[in-house]
Amino acid sequence: MRKPILIAVVALFLAGCVGLSWRSAIAPQAPPLASLFTSEQVALGAQMAAAGNCAGCHTAEGGAAFGGGLGLDTGFGIAYSPNISPDPQTGIGNWSEAAFARAMRDGVARDGSQLLPVFPYTHFTKLTDVDLAALYAFVMTRPPVVAIEQTNTIRFPFNVRALQAGWKLLYFEQGVYQNVATKSAAWNRGAYLAEGIAHCAACHTPRNRFGAENSHSAYAGAGFDGWLAPPLDASNPAPLPWTQQDLYDYLRMGESERHGVAAGAMAGIVHGGLAKLSDADIEALGTYFGDINDSAAREGGAPAALALANSRRSIDAGNETEPGANLYLSACAACHYGPMVKPPAVRSSLALSSAITSDDPSNFIQTVLQGVGGADTPGPYMPGFANALSDADVALVASYLRRTRSDRPAWPDLTAAVAARRR
Amino acid sequence: MHEISNAGIATTRRSFLITITAAGISMTLTLPHSAQAAGSSITSGSVLATGLVSAFEPTIWYDIDGEGILSVNVIRAEMGQHVGTALARIVADELEMNWASVRLRYVDTDPKWGTMVTGGSWSVWQSFPYLSQAAAAGRLALIEEGAKLLRVAKSACIARNGAVSGAGKSVSYADIIRRGQLTRRYSVDELKAMPIKEAADRRLIGMPSEALDIPAKTTGAARYGLDAQVPDMVYARPKLPPTRNGCTVKSIDDSAARGIPGYLKSLVLEDPSGTVPGWVVVCADSFMAASSAAERVKVVWASSTAASVSEADIQARGLKLISDPAGGSLVVEDAGVDAAFSVAKSTIEHDYSTATVLHFQLEPLNALAFEKDGRWEIHTGNQWQSLILPTLAKALGVAEDQVVMRTYLIGGGFGRRLNGDYTVPAALASKALGRPVKLVWTRADDVLFDSPRSPSVQRVRMAFDATGQVTGMQHHASAGWPTQVMVPSFMPKGKNGEPYDPFAIAGADHWYSVGAQRVRAVSNDLANSTFRPGWLRSVGPGWTNWALESFMDEAALVAGLDPLAFRLRLLGGSAKNSAGGAKQQAQVLQRAADKAGWGSKMPADTGLGLATTFGQERDMPTWCACVARVRVNRSSGVVKVERLTIVADAGTIVHPDGALAQMEGASLWGLSMALHEGTDYVNGQVRDTNLNTYTPLRMRDVPPMDIEFVASTAPPTGLGEPATTVVGPAIGNAIFAAVGIRLRHLPMRPTDVLAALKAH
Amino acid sequence: MTTPATTSFQLNGKTLTVTTPPGTPLLWVIRDIAMLTGTKYGCGVGQCGACTVHLRGRAVRSCMTPVSAVAGAEVLTIEGLSADGQHPLQKAWVQTQAPQCGYCQSGQIMQAASLIRRFPHPTDDDIDSVMNGNLCRCMAYVRIRQAIKLAASEVQGAESHA
Ligand code: FES
Ligand code: FES
Repeated sequence: MRKPILIAVVALFLAGCVGLSWRSAIAPQAPPLASLFTSEQVALGAQMAAAGNCAGCHTAEGGAAFGGGLGLDTGFGIAYSPNISPDPQTGIGNWSEAAFARAMRDGVARDGSQLLPVFPYTHFTKLTDVDLAALYAFVMTRPPVVAIEQTNTIRFPFNVRALQAGWKLLYFEQGVYQNVATKSAAWNRGAYLAEGIAHCAACHTPRNRFGAENSHSAYAGAGFDGWLAPPLDASNPAPLPWTQQDLYDYLRMGESERHGVAAGAMAGIVHGGLAKLSDADIEALGTYFGDINDSAAREGGAPAALALANSRRSIDAGNETEPGANLYLSACAACHYGPMVKPPAVRSSLALSSAITSDDPSNFIQTVLQGVGGADTPGPYMPGFANALSDADVALVASYLRRTRSDRPAWPDLTAAVAARRR
Repeated sequence: MHEISNAGIATTRRSFLITITAAGISMTLTLPHSAQAAGSSITSGSVLATGLVSAFEPTIWYDIDGEGILSVNVIRAEMGQHVGTALARIVADELEMNWASVRLRYVDTDPKWGTMVTGGSWSVWQSFPYLSQAAAAGRLALIEEGAKLLRVAKSACIARNGAVSGAGKSVSYADIIRRGQLTRRYSVDELKAMPIKEAADRRLIGMPSEALDIPAKTTGAARYGLDAQVPDMVYARPKLPPTRNGCTVKSIDDSAARGIPGYLKSLVLEDPSGTVPGWVVVCADSFMAASSAAERVKVVWASSTAASVSEADIQARGLKLISDPAGGSLVVEDAGVDAAFSVAKSTIEHDYSTATVLHFQLEPLNALAFEKDGRWEIHTGNQWQSLILPTLAKALGVAEDQVVMRTYLIGGGFGRRLNGDYTVPAALASKALGRPVKLVWTRADDVLFDSPRSPSVQRVRMAFDATGQVTGMQHHASAGWPTQVMVPSFMPKGKNGEPYDPFAIAGADHWYSVGAQRVRAVSNDLANSTFRPGWLRSVGPGWTNWALESFMDEAALVAGLDPLAFRLRLLGGSAKNSAGGAKQQAQVLQRAADKAGWGSKMPADTGLGLATTFGQERDMPTWCACVARVRVNRSSGVVKVERLTIVADAGTIVHPDGALAQMEGASLWGLSMALHEGTDYVNGQVRDTNLNTYTPLRMRDVPPMDIEFVASTAPPTGLGEPATTVVGPAIGNAIFAAVGIRLRHLPMRPTDVLAALKAH
Repeated sequence: MTTPATTSFQLNGKTLTVTTPPGTPLLWVIRDIAMLTGTKYGCGVGQCGACTVHLRGRAVRSCMTPVSAVAGAEVLTIEGLSADGQHPLQKAWVQTQAPQCGYCQSGQIMQAASLIRRFPHPTDDDIDSVMNGNLCRCMAYVRIRQAIKLAASEVQGAESHA
């Protein structure tokens, strides 16, 4: 295992040495006047920014929007997001549109330095000129935020910015999205959004040891901040396939009858980001993912899977005495017990939830600890049980539900897994 | 309590009860004056008397105003048994009033009420005679005065529906009272001799009715101790020492709490009454602030040796104590016990045990205390005000008449609030702070400060002669004794002169004829010092009946008899128990067996088990029998109770629906303690502090129940507890019938069932 | 999390604005600030149901719900269930004489209200599963079950007449 790393490091270093890393600075300019932009442009930019969840990364906890300063654990150290508000000193107020476009498409900052790939320019490169210009218009019309820059803690050699150029050689393909001729317009629109601004793969695709998305296992699911961003391909472990309609329901309302609700970071993306997109765009996303996950091929098995899930719904009536069953029945069942006929997955049949069928218990644990929904979020609310249940309690409920609500093997080392995910 | 020591007759529970009753009837008829009723705030709406106009108050127990509204003064705690309704029906019936004109007034403490206690299933049984007689006196007075107004001979007048009529004329009570000429007085002796109505003439007692306390409990209007509030009130949360007894505070550091907005102060309590040693109370301007602060305040305690005691230690101590024949108090000691055993053809002996059980009343403890105009007010729900008032006075350093307890509904008593210890820290904190303090326990605080049902160990023996007849029986029981710890003056003396806790042994002195009988009660000193044992729904019969009724099945097996036949034979005996009681017990037993299909063929792994009891005590027998039908899952060890059939003879049933509710609750408590509850002491404290590990019965585990009362016009007895104690042994016996294993420890967990099946 | 923050929400149809540490459970805001004491505290860990209220029409345990989570939302307590205590469930509770000590009953009724909305014809299994989280220490379970069935049938009856 050590050898490939060494070779790669050497390769990166050499790549850096041949001078590929050097890019010229683009001259600063006075912040553009708001009147330079049309209101349509700003509105479109707002949609794009929402779909890209820009504020999600570029806003510190409790900080002003776009002021940056949120620490992101990259696996190589903490990277702090920069201030992208139009403050000329600490933000990007003196960036020309060209500088902005170069950052988005090439991953190079105005001053010519390389940006870390935690900033998903690998996806934003796919944006059309029109959308990019709109995004620039939107960002430059936000209130400027004066912010103090935080120092990243990225470890050597990954902190050597020059080496990023070598990284790009290996992992970065520049270029605007190109339609796939054999697919529908909706499919292509969904792909454009997903692969581009929404950068879904950034969370849902596993990364290699250099932090690059692993193109061979696109959308195979990946760990994220103690959660699992589940697979969006055919390997998704949900008992029922995610159809275009399911995906639409989920991405539009944050809940799908046949699957469950958006929780964790995804809740913010659905309710805070995607909410700004049109129905047509959400449908397009559903079309795209509903196709690449092979849902049509799996739908035939859905009735049987549903029947099985239903049969697991009242498995508790009076016969289960293991402590996990007691906990489930006193703390969870009031909401998660669903009617037999038409199960609204929302707050109900856990036998349909991939949080339970997934071999990674992260999402189950996180949902129990942190709950679902909350302030100003429409849709269901579930309180977090972090203060109410011990690690052992959560582990008991988890193993009980895993056993009774799925036919998957038991999750190992649950108590430790819960402890590791407590904030 | 003080009356008792004055009278110097505090030797048995029976005499205590007579004393209370005497306090009630020693009041003569008095002329109208305004009732005190300070605590009439616990429910709202029409249920309550206004307390404003009371024109006719012939005794302290009730008054009738100029509108003809009867207000009954209720000195019992309302905690789910609808006792106010039952008592008011007794008064209203005897007074010949319409039920619609009746109100309840839950009164605050006052010496005039005599002893205030609600427990032991005593309330109706105890109150029935004096309330009936007080009401009968009022009725006679009203008839006398009504007759005068009607100018009809009083012998020609009758009272009915709140009016006196005779010779075709009629005048309402309201009219009589408004004339204000009621002057008739009765002496104590007259009241005592006051005849009450024939059972056949009852118009309210025994008839269906709705409980007056219920509507407010469906709208959120009902007010419990947790809802008490006064202006300028401070909230507080306790910081509990590691063990109940013997801790002192060595140091306290509240620096981490000081940043919490609203945090005021952490008080180390100085308690002259010794009720709450080592207590710290954390005060703030909201409960949440007090609670968060309490989590940040660091206290170092010097703790007692109790801090290393475990449940196993307590049980081992109990076993050692009962193994020593010299210890304890001989509650029953017939001549010839040892002889019966030495000449016996055969003997059997078994040990039984029960684990610690928590009250876990749903309303965690709370008390609001403050001083006002030189008098201390304690606002909380309490079951035994007369027991805690002297302690409060001592803690506060004031005379007892300077402390009053205001009455609130209780969110579940089950005996927890017989022990009023929780009022003391609130009072002390208020005194130290100089402001009203509302002390609120979190659930975990409540559990750790519980006075749980003590673990118990028992040994039961029986001797048979050559013909298979029972010739002798011994029952030795050891447990923590609540009465010894909290009110030792209440302990009567056994045959060997040693005092005993009657509540910790009742039940072992059963009505079976077993030849020479010995019942020995032994106080478990390690239990008493480790925690404060409590009275918990039924107290001792919860364990004595578990041993006795399990043992009866084991003895029947040895005697080669069916468990029902064996019991009926012993209840039909000719010895000291033959008269009266035993026959009634046999009747309920037979009836329950018949209803449950005793003797019929059962499916695989399914069985019927029975148990019977005379209730709480021999002086107040409530005959009760239960048949449990269970199915045992051999692979999981789960015992599913499929049906409970229960028959009870409690004399006159005053409030039938309330009585039924009490039986339902009591039997499910029995089921819960048999299969779902129980905890262990670990390092001087109970292991389970909340519902994630303490698992009382919930709705899905409720079996179908068939409960029947024997029709009776005998004086009413008590209902809150008896059914609690028959369910456990009935289930244990049913498990034996189903799969042939005998479990001798409560609770019976699936793991116990599996282990026994494996060993079988 | 101790710096007080201001939260506004609808409590029984009226706007309530409170300034509290944001993690403050809704239960104590309802009880000690809004002074609506019908909602009870039993366990504080979401396992007794005594504190059940409705959040946007669905039953939640208020002891577990930080007040910050209800910003802008509708909260209904037992006091707001009906203006006159004549909700079909409340009537059924009286008719079956369900409450004993009564302490759990506000929570039981609020949970039952959400139950019969989701299950207009509740089976025993439906009732047991949904109500199992509501502990009744007095064990008034038999009557709570009866009362729910009675109320559900009355709601159905009323609707089929309408
Ligand atoms: S107090 Fe909220 S569920 Fe128990
Ligand atoms: S009625 Fe007392 S807890 Fe339910």
